[in-house]
Amino acid sequence: MSDQQLTNLIKMLEQIIANNLHHGDDDRVAAVAADHLHKFWARSMKQQILACVQEHPERLSAVARLTLAKLDPEAATPAEV
Amino acid sequence: MLHYYDPSTQSYEPGKTGLNPDFDYGTPASVSETLVSMSIDGRAITVPEGTSVLRAAALAGINIPKLCASDNLEAFGSCRLCAVEIEGRRGYPASCTTPVAEGMAVTTQTGKLAKLRRNIMELYISDHPLDCLTCPANGNCELQDVAGVVGLREVRYGFDGENHLDAETDDSNPYFSFDPSKCIVCSRCVRACEEVQGTFALTIEGRGFDSVVSAGQGEAFMDSECVSCGACVQACPTSTLMEKSVIDAGQPEHSVVTTCAYCGVGCSFKAEMKGDQLVRMVPYKGGEANQGHSCVKGRFAFGYATHDDRIKEPMIRDSINDPWKVVSWEEALAFSADKIKGIQARYGRESVGGITSSRCTNEETYLVQKLVRAAFGNNNTDTCARVCHSPTGYGLKTTLGESAGTQTFESVMKADTIVVIGANPTDAHPVFGSLMRRRLRQGAKLIVIDPRRIDILETPHGGEGIHLPLRPGTNVAMVNALAHVIVTEGLEDQEFISHRCDSDAYDTWRRFIAEERHSPEAMEAITGVPADKVREAARLYAQAGNGAIYYGLGVTEHSQGSTMVMGIANLAMATGNIGREGGGVNPLRGQNNVQGSCDMGSFPHELPGYQHVNDAAVRARFQAVWGVPLDDEPGLRIPNMFDAAIAGTFKGLYVQGEDIAQSDPNTQHVEAALKSLDCLIVQDIFLNETAKFAHVLLPGSTFLEKNGTFTNAERRINRVRKVMEPIAGMEDWQVTMALSNALGYPMAYSHPSEIMDEIAQLTPTFTGVSYDKLEQLGSIQWPCNDASPEGTPTMHTVDFPIGKGQFAVTEYLATEERASRKFPLLLTTGRILSQYNVGAQTRRTDNSEWHAEDVLEIHPSDAELRGIHDGDWLGISSRVGQTVLRAQISDRMMPGVVYTTFHHPGSGANVITTDNSDWATNCPEYKVTAVQVEVVTQPSEWQRNFQQFDQRQQALLEPAMQGTDQADAQPVR
Repeated sequence: MSDQQLTNLIKMLEQIIANNLHHGDDDRVAAVAADHLHKFWARSMKQQILACVQEHPERLSAVARLTLAKLDPEAATPAEV
Repeated sequence: MLHYYDPSTQSYEPGKTGLNPDFDYGTPASVSETLVSMSIDGRAITVPEGTSVLRAAALAGINIPKLCASDNLEAFGSCRLCAVEIEGRRGYPASCTTPVAEGMAVTTQTGKLAKLRRNIMELYISDHPLDCLTCPANGNCELQDVAGVVGLREVRYGFDGENHLDAETDDSNPYFSFDPSKCIVCSRCVRACEEVQGTFALTIEGRGFDSVVSAGQGEAFMDSECVSCGACVQACPTSTLMEKSVIDAGQPEHSVVTTCAYCGVGCSFKAEMKGDQLVRMVPYKGGEANQGHSCVKGRFAFGYATHDDRIKEPMIRDSINDPWKVVSWEEALAFSADKIKGIQARYGRESVGGITSSRCTNEETYLVQKLVRAAFGNNNTDTCARVCHSPTGYGLKTTLGESAGTQTFESVMKADTIVVIGANPTDAHPVFGSLMRRRLRQGAKLIVIDPRRIDILETPHGGEGIHLPLRPGTNVAMVNALAHVIVTEGLEDQEFISHRCDSDAYDTWRRFIAEERHSPEAMEAITGVPADKVREAARLYAQAGNGAIYYGLGVTEHSQGSTMVMGIANLAMATGNIGREGGGVNPLRGQNNVQGSCDMGSFPHELPGYQHVNDAAVRARFQAVWGVPLDDEPGLRIPNMFDAAIAGTFKGLYVQGEDIAQSDPNTQHVEAALKSLDCLIVQDIFLNETAKFAHVLLPGSTFLEKNGTFTNAERRINRVRKVMEPIAGMEDWQVTMALSNALGYPMAYSHPSEIMDEIAQLTPTFTGVSYDKLEQLGSIQWPCNDASPEGTPTMHTVDFPIGKGQFAVTEYLATEERASRKFPLLLTTGRILSQYNVGAQTRRTDNSEWHAEDVLEIHPSDAELRGIHDGDWLGISSRVGQTVLRAQISDRMMPGVVYTTFHHPGSGANVITTDNSDWATNCPEYKVTAVQVEVVTQPSEWQRNFQQFDQRQQALLEPAMQGTDQADAQPVR
C-alpha cells in the first residue's frame, strides 16, 4: 500500500462523512458512513483503511475512527490467493 | 418490426400503430380523439378529425401524387399536384391542406385532374435538366416517379426559355452537395430545417421565378448556420440535395435497420447498402427514439468503420517498448490468458480486473463483467459510467428506487416547463435537442441552469428562456434555493407527497430546506445568480402543470454529483412531477449504451439489474446459472484500480472499447498506472491512447459489424443488426467468449440472443425481454416483465420500486477545488456537436472540418486582462498539470469561467483536471478545475512528451499494420 493510496482512501472516507453529517450525532453519521463503505468499497480498500486506523489513527477524524470501528471486519477479510 | 396499416382489418390509432414507417403518408397524423367518416374514390374510411384528405387517402391505400408534401412536415400546398375533387365543393382543392369532414366524398382521379397534374409537371420539367440516366437520384426520385404517375409525355414549352439549369452546385459540405439546377423550390428542405431540426438555416430567397433555396443569406452551406443534420437531404424529392456517398457509389440495393452507436439518444437508422458496402445511413421513421430525424454524427460520420487505422489482426508484445507482433487469435488469447493467470498466481485473485464499454452492446458488456466475476473470480469490473453518470445511479436509486430516467423522449412534447441542468442537448443529444426545440416553439417555457449560455437558449421562435448562469461547483446550492422557494411559497404538490412519498423523510427534508440559509437571497453569494431570477425559475417550474427536468454531466461530474441528482429528484417529488408524461427526471446519457452498461452489471458492487453482490439470494441465482462461486464483496472502481496499480498490487486489466488514458482525469496519474501493469489487454477498433500502453491488442468490431442491443437514455432497448462482417472475423462478444474459454471458464453462446435470454433469466427488470419480442415491438423500454409485458414508457406511475419516494437532505458543501490568486479562473468542460467524446471515431471522419482542434473559450474581460487575442496559444495551468490550447474569445460564460472540449488527445484537457471526485461514487469532478491562463509560444511539456510517445507507438505499430516481417522491427527504447 502506498501512502498516496492511503491518502486517497482517507480523503474519500472523510468526504463521505462530510456529506452525511446531516444524519445526526457522530454515532449515526458513523453508522451511515460504515454502511456506505460496506456497500461500495472493495475488500482491499477496507483492509487498508482498517490497517491505517491501527497504525496512524491521528490521520483520521474522530468520526472516521468511529466509522471504522463499526465496519464489519468480516468484509475486510483477506481474499484467498 | 414493420406495422402495415390494413384498413380492412385494423382500426386507426393516431400516430402510433398500424403504420408502415417506410411509407410517406403525406401529412402528419392528427391526434384528435374525434373520428370522422368519409369516402375516397368510393372507399369508406374513418380517421381522426384534423386528418388531411391526402393522408386519409394514403391510409385507405390510395396514393395521390404529391411533391411538396411529406408526413414529417406540416402541409404547405404549393405544388398543387395533390389536387382532388370534392363532392359539393367548387374547384380542385389541394388534398394536403384540406382536412377531412364527416360524410365528405372525394374523387382523386378524373380527366380534369389528370390534365391539371400533367400541366403542373410539364412546367416543373421545363426547368429541370433531363439527365435522369446519369442523375444520382435515378431510381429513387420523387420527381421522376410523379412524372411517370401523371403520364407526362412532352414538354410543350421547350427548354430554351429562362431557366435555372446553369445554377452552380455548392459542394462545400463534405457529406452532401446542393445542386440548385435540379431544385423545384418545393420548400421541403426549408421546412425540414425549421420544423424537424429547428435551426432555420435555410430560406427561400427571391420571389416568383427567381425563388431559390438559400443557406443563410446566400452563403455556402459550410459557412451558414447549417448543422448538417441531413433533414434537408432526406426531405428533398429530387437530386438537389444529395449525399456525396450516393453520388460516388450509386443507389443502395438493400438496407438493414439498426441503432446508431453515437450518443444516448439511440437513433434508429436504415443502413443502406450495396453488397457489404455501406452507402448511407438514413434515419428510420419507425425508430421511437428519433422518429426519422438524425444529426451530423449518426447520419454521416460512419467512415471510421472502414478507416485505414482499423486494427485488423490480433497483436501481442512483452513490453510497451517492443514492436507489435501480429499473431493468430488463438495465440493472442492464449498469451492473454497465461498472463492473467500468472499475475493472479503471483499477486492474488484480486490483482486483475476489467472495464466494460458503454459503446459496446448490452450482450458484450454483460459478458465482460461475467468474465471478470466468474473467470477472474473477483468483482473488479467498472465502466466509463464511473466518470459520467455513476451519480445518477446512486442518486436516483436512493430517492426513486431505480437507477434510470423516468420518461420517454416523446414525453417532452407534453412538458409545459423544461428545465435543462448541466446539459447541452443541441450539441450532445442533438436529435432530442430538436424535439425539445419543437416543444419550445409550441410555447413551453425554458429554464437553463448552466455556467455557459448554451444554444437551446437561442432557439428560433422558442421564446425567451430563463438562464441561471451559476458558478461552477454550486449546483447543490442552486437546487436547494429552488426547493426553498417551492417549500416556503406553498408550491408543493401535497397530494402527491402525502400519497407517494415517505413522510418521515419528507418532514426531515422539509425542515432542512425551509431554513433561511437555503433561500435564493442567502445563496446568491455562492451561486452568483440573482435571487429574483431563482425565485422566478422556481415558480415557473412548480406551477408549470408539467415540469420536466433534463440533466447531464454538468450535474454529475462534481464532488457533490450524487447530492445534486438527489436534489433534482427532491424537486420533482415536491412538485408532483413524477409518474406521468410531460414531467420526470431525465438524465441525458452521454454515450450510446451508458444506460445499458450500467444495467448489465458493470459496476463493481452490482450484478446485472443493480442487484448488490452482498445479497446472498441474488448471488445464489447467478451462481446456479454461472456455475461458480461469486465474491460477496464489491470490487475496485477505476480510480482505485489506478491507485492499486501504482502501489503494485493491481497488475492486469482487460479493457473493452474504453479509452481511459484519454477520458479519465489527471492524465499523468492514469499513464503512471497503465505503465505499472504487467498485462494490459485492449480490445478496440483503433490504437487508442490506452492501447499505446497495452501488451495485447484485440481487434474490436464497430456497431455495423455485430448483432446485439443498445439501451438508450429513455431505457429503450433497441436492436443492433449486423450489416457487414467484422473486420477481424469476430464480433466483440465472441472475443470475450474466446478469452473466457482460454482462461478456463467455458462460455458457449452461438448468438447474442442467447446472451439476452440469460440476462432475462437473471435480471428482474428484463425477464420479459427477448429478441423475438424486440422484433415484434421494435423496441422495449425496461422494466419489461410480468407486470409490464411490453415495457414501461413512463416509470413510477403508481408507486416507486422502493415503495415510497425518499426525499434526501442535500447539504451544500463547497468543493475543495477553489479559485485562488494563483489559479483565479474556473475551467469547465463539455462537448461539441460534430465530435463524439474522445473523438476516436469522429476524428476519423470529415466531421473534423467543423472542429479540427479543441480551443479554450475565455470571456473578453478575462482575455483583455491577460492581453489575450483570438487565436493566441494559451498555457493553462492547474494544480496538477499544464496544457496549451488556442484561445477563442467568447462571452458565453461569465467572467472568471473558461471552457474547453476534450475531443482531441493532444489537447491534454485531462492533464489539468484533478483527482477530486463525487463523494458517493468517485465520479471525477471534471466540471471544476481552478486554472491560470497566459499567452505562451510552445506546447506544454506534457504535450511534447505526448507527441514523442505517440510517434514512438505509431512506429511500433506500423510494421504490424503493413504486414512486414516482424523480425525486421526493432524495439524502440
